[in-house]
Amino acid sequence: MSPTSKKTNPSSDVILEVKDLVQSYNGRAVLNGLNFKVRKGETFVIMGGSGCGKTTLLRILIGAQKPTSGSVYLFGEDITKASSQELDRIRLRFGMNFQFGALFQSMTVGENIALPLQEHSQVDPSLIEMIVKMKLELVGLTGFENFKPSELSGGMRKRVGLARALALDPELLFSDEPTSGLDPVMTAVVDQLTLDSTRKIGVTAVVVSHDMASCFRIATHMLMLGSGPRQGEIIAEGTPDEIRANPDPFLQQFVRGEADGPIAFRLSQDDYLKHLLQEG
Amino acid sequence: MKFSFESLLNAGGSRLTYGLLNLRILGWILYGFTRPGILVPSQILSQIIRIGVQAIPMASLVSLSVGFILAMQSSTELGKMGADSFIPDLVSLSLMRELGPLLVAIIVVGRSGSAVAAELGTMKVNEEIEALRVMAIDPIRYLVVPRFIALMIMLPCMTVFGNCIGLVGGWAVCTLEMGMPSSFYIMRAMQRPELWDLFSGLIKTAVFAHIIITIACYQGLNVEGGAEGVGRATTSAVVYSILWIIIADTILTGLFYFIL
Repeated sequence: MSPTSKKTNPSSDVILEVKDLVQSYNGRAVLNGLNFKVRKGETFVIMGGSGCGKTTLLRILIGAQKPTSGSVYLFGEDITKASSQELDRIRLRFGMNFQFGALFQSMTVGENIALPLQEHSQVDPSLIEMIVKMKLELVGLTGFENFKPSELSGGMRKRVGLARALALDPELLFSDEPTSGLDPVMTAVVDQLTLDSTRKIGVTAVVVSHDMASCFRIATHMLMLGSGPRQGEIIAEGTPDEIRANPDPFLQQFVRGEADGPIAFRLSQDDYLKHLLQEG
Repeated sequence: MKFSFESLLNAGGSRLTYGLLNLRILGWILYGFTRPGILVPSQILSQIIRIGVQAIPMASLVSLSVGFILAMQSSTELGKMGADSFIPDLVSLSLMRELGPLLVAIIVVGRSGSAVAAELGTMKVNEEIEALRVMAIDPIRYLVVPRFIALMIMLPCMTVFGNCIGLVGGWAVCTLEMGMPSSFYIMRAMQRPELWDLFSGLIKTAVFAHIIITIACYQGLNVEGGAEGVGRATTSAVVYSILWIIIADTILTGLFYFIL
């Protein structure tokens, strides 16, 4: 077997595959043997409570962090074993929409969107300018090219982040908490933009979120990560209807947003009375 | 054996130590000479203006003051020995060999080194560095190399300019206060130093520029822990830069004194 074949996984419609993924910090497993596949055209939503490892998982999926063990096949190539150059080549095929936009504060909105095009394409500057305008129209921000990110609201920044992520027309879009901190109208707008990207442009999306209404609105496939006693496990996986019908109490508590249930209110394992009476 | 730039460009992967940062800067500069478009002149020019040109007024003021101080302090002692005529020699030699490079470097540390560390640190905290990596843009090439080249060009230029301003300060004291003819001051100040005195100062300046920018970038790119981390990185960049500049100055002065 050649070294290349070790790193590839030629499953035609599977765009992303995670195999036996483990991430531990100081011996504590945050992600514990995850296995799942994302198929072409899906809007795959990863849900879970705070601290369940969603962001860690996303960082591993985009190659920003190496897992403790396991493999992540992106477009058939194992990114956990890829060199920096191979990873850069793969990265040109996906876009990432960061939670807070991660826009370059020293640049204008237009320059932010133009950057990946300037760096990775041989396109004429006048054409880049046109593409920037098209991407801004896609996210409903025509005419905002010369604004600085600091002059925009949180929702607008997220939209510019999405426009930048779509600048190179990626096959796959990663989105980290795209609707957190937004009002209901802006949440619906960002959801609609994600739907437009997937259904109209044909981009496959992997969205990390804990906004249940938003998740059910955009998802074609969902995955729930556990926390507390079930930290690092996949609690449930399936279509939105399958998730709604799943009787798992942990999942149902999360979906309904109830305070009482198997998801612990207290995150600490320490004995409260002992802790209270402890001196110093 | 075929030389591979890749080994230099990707040294250490995503883990960044000070040594690896230096290796990768070197790798990108060498690679930039072979491939047009890798180093963007407009970015280098913008950094030349931001971290160099805009620091000139402050560096000039310090150099002028040092010129005044050197002339005034030396006039007291040299005057007692009737050696007033050596004041221009002392001012020019001190500025070229030692005080010009050292003081301009310290000004640049405080103004530009701290700004670079804070800027890169804030970018790290705001996930802008991560965004660059995800867009397959190496932050070392895009952010560090233009700043590195800009300071390596600008610090020697600013030092030479500062030396000239310092000489003007010395001239003002010698001519206006001590009644020394301008022509005599200029002749002594220009005749006494040799070309090597200027070069030795410029060698120091190049070393100082390297220290300032690599420490600032290293501290900025390794920020952890939000706003507090940015503050810590900025302080560390200034403190370590000044410390290493003084250590490097001692070593280089010793080297020039004993060996050359």
